[in-house]
Amino acid sequence: MKRPMPKAQSPKPRAALATAVLIVIASASVFAQVSYQRLLNAEKEPQNWLTYGGSYKQHRYSPLTLINRQNAGQLKLAWAYQMQRPGVVETSPIVVDGVMYLTEPPNSTVTALDTRSGRTLWTYTPNIPPDVIVIGSPPVNRGVAILDDFVYVGTVHGHLIALDAKSGTVRWDTTVEDNKHGFYLTLAPLALDGKIIVGVSGAETGIRGFVDAYDAKSGKLVWRTYTIPTPGEPGSETWGKGDGWKTGGGSTWLTGSFDPELNLLYWATGNPAPDWNADNRPGDNLYTDSVLALDPATGKMKWHFQFTPEDVHDWDANETLVLFDAPINGRERKLIAQANRNGFYYVLDRATGEYLASAQYAKQTWADGIDAKGRPIRKKGIAPSLEGTLVFPNIQGASNWFSASYSPQTKLFYQAARDMGTIYYKGDAVYKPGTAFTGGGGRAVNGDVASGAIRALEATTGKMKWEFPLLSPGWTSLLSTGGGLLFGGTEEGNFFALDAESGKPLWDIQLGGAVRGIPIAYSVDGKQYVAIAAGVTLYVFTV
Amino acid sequence: MLRVLILVLLIVLPRASAAQSAADVQAGKVLFGHLCVTCHGFDGAGGAGPPLNRAKLVNAPDDAALRTIIADGIPNRGMPRVRRTLDGEQRALVAYVRSLGRTARPTTRGNTQKGSELYAKLNCAACHIVKGQGGTLGPELTDIGVQRGPQYLRQALVEPAAALPNSTLRVQGPGYSEFLPVRVVMKDGAEVRGIRVNEDLFTIQLRDQSGKFHSIRKSNAEVIRKETGVSLMPSFAGRMSDAELDDLVAYLSSLGGA
Repeated sequence: MKRPMPKAQSPKPRAALATAVLIVIASASVFAQVSYQRLLNAEKEPQNWLTYGGSYKQHRYSPLTLINRQNAGQLKLAWAYQMQRPGVVETSPIVVDGVMYLTEPPNSTVTALDTRSGRTLWTYTPNIPPDVIVIGSPPVNRGVAILDDFVYVGTVHGHLIALDAKSGTVRWDTTVEDNKHGFYLTLAPLALDGKIIVGVSGAETGIRGFVDAYDAKSGKLVWRTYTIPTPGEPGSETWGKGDGWKTGGGSTWLTGSFDPELNLLYWATGNPAPDWNADNRPGDNLYTDSVLALDPATGKMKWHFQFTPEDVHDWDANETLVLFDAPINGRERKLIAQANRNGFYYVLDRATGEYLASAQYAKQTWADGIDAKGRPIRKKGIAPSLEGTLVFPNIQGASNWFSASYSPQTKLFYQAARDMGTIYYKGDAVYKPGTAFTGGGGRAVNGDVASGAIRALEATTGKMKWEFPLLSPGWTSLLSTGGGLLFGGTEEGNFFALDAESGKPLWDIQLGGAVRGIPIAYSVDGKQYVAIAAGVTLYVFTV
Repeated sequence: MLRVLILVLLIVLPRASAAQSAADVQAGKVLFGHLCVTCHGFDGAGGAGPPLNRAKLVNAPDDAALRTIIADGIPNRGMPRVRRTLDGEQRALVAYVRSLGRTARPTTRGNTQKGSELYAKLNCAACHIVKGQGGTLGPELTDIGVQRGPQYLRQALVEPAAALPNSTLRVQGPGYSEFLPVRVVMKDGAEVRGIRVNEDLFTIQLRDQSGKFHSIRKSNAEVIRKETGVSLMPSFAGRMSDAELDDLVAYLSSLGGA
């Protein structure tokens, strides 16, 4: 049977060409993936997960409601993805219009998956030298950033690499700093307007930390802000008269937050080096264990707040920086909050850095409290010693890299807390580039005598509303949702959904490996999914 | 002239190295007292951790292997990296531990043969395996003389609940008590008592005295009591003479070819 010819006349050749070009441009624009405008308004695209913490506010909150208190009990596996190599999986996937981008250990692999089926679209692994230096953590990676058509990954050999989002092809590859000196990257970069912000790991090798901004298109360094001042600069007086500042640590190993209205970038810093021996760094050691508010255009520091002055316990302050607005004493305030590794929860004014409130949220034996300016009142006899000193929290802290969550629905700050001690030892430290420069260490007080809990804190005060006890101190990140749920996991492999209001368990499953992944939610074809990595597998659940 | 130089070198060098080594042993002893004595005992006589006053160490056949263990620990086998150590500290610890192996091992007071007979008479094999023979309720003892010091073994016989073993199995995580008795009363009134085999947040797995496994969903249980400070192993305090105790400890210390 012959098909009838269309009645309308065929377009003239030139017009046809123009139409074809238009179609190509139109389809290209569909793939012109994530503009800065979309990142700014990430909360308006609950079907996607566009940036590490879900938005610049780092809430790790999904407004999706299709999985909720009523049907959480029916959660079931949709698909799973096996990592290509063994390692510790701490990835927070990103989801953009049906494509998931995740990272895999141990060589900073990036993989794009079809969010409907879990099938691989592309995978990329940088050439990591076999003698790569990774001291201070396993060779993990916590995720990618996306901006326009590029996907950005920080690598364990100290590079920042831009990949084409459609194919995984390298667009540019920049050395952030020399890995031979112990610099490496595990964090998800943060994409701003035309800039990619990264920090570094490496305090355990005596690096001098910094925050960097790179041009998103070219990979050229735009600015670098060191976390430790040089002699003569403000703050340098907190390092004594020696040269301790040169090897003073202050890593910047977790993704920061951003307030576009105040135009401030918030980035937290890690421990001073050597970790457990302060002999060569007498003083507060600014700006280690601090949060810095930076001008994103220049990197200039607008304010800082230090959580743990003269730290001798390795209590990095890199934990999640959550931004929210709430009234305090009747006045609406722009706030920044963190459940710090030292066992205290802090609330600051994010415009000025003013200390507003704190509360102990985990077992601690080192401080009598926090004074009116936010400075800890330190007990005596808590320093590491040759024969060992038992102190809570433990070396890995009351919290660590794993994400907190804030729900605008419940106005609660959710944190997995580790109630555990360490016997801290002091040792000598000799600086040799690219080797451990820690000055001691610790023996964990673990097993049946350690514990943990998911704690729901009133966000403005840190007052505990409820807790859900865990069998052991975990490394679980949390995800709250518009369906009134809180997702988390355990070291023993459980993944569960709690009622975000009450902490009551609604659903759980054993995943066969420690839950170290960072959960996210997305939707596609009208179905909501929750993704979490446990062991070396990414699991995706739906109802 | 050259001959004289060589002669001088021959005399001076070994002395220098001997002095270095003696200094290392001394420095190693101090470090050992800070970092290792809790598990390996004074003078490396052993405790919850293996005795180190042996000419041969099973996991550290040479100095390089010993150094690696000191530097990194033995993951998931109870030997932690207590803290990072500098090259010189590792060298000192190796020198000290090797010096323990050269000194004469303190003779165990008991008689191994008599201890072996007691082991049979007391029916220890009902619960413990040695070289493939015996029951499975308690820990295997085939290599126990390599794993534990005599003092620990003696305590295990007279005061078995004082220190349940931990971190020797791969099933539970570091620091968890193994062979921990647990009593569970289910909501329907059924009762189970056994040793904990594994546990997660929502479930617990027990093995009872007959060897049967029980899988328990915690939300179905009315009571879950972890009997910390209790051991299913009977105490032999007052049931044996001191000499018999010495014999049994001597036999157990000999297991594993130590």
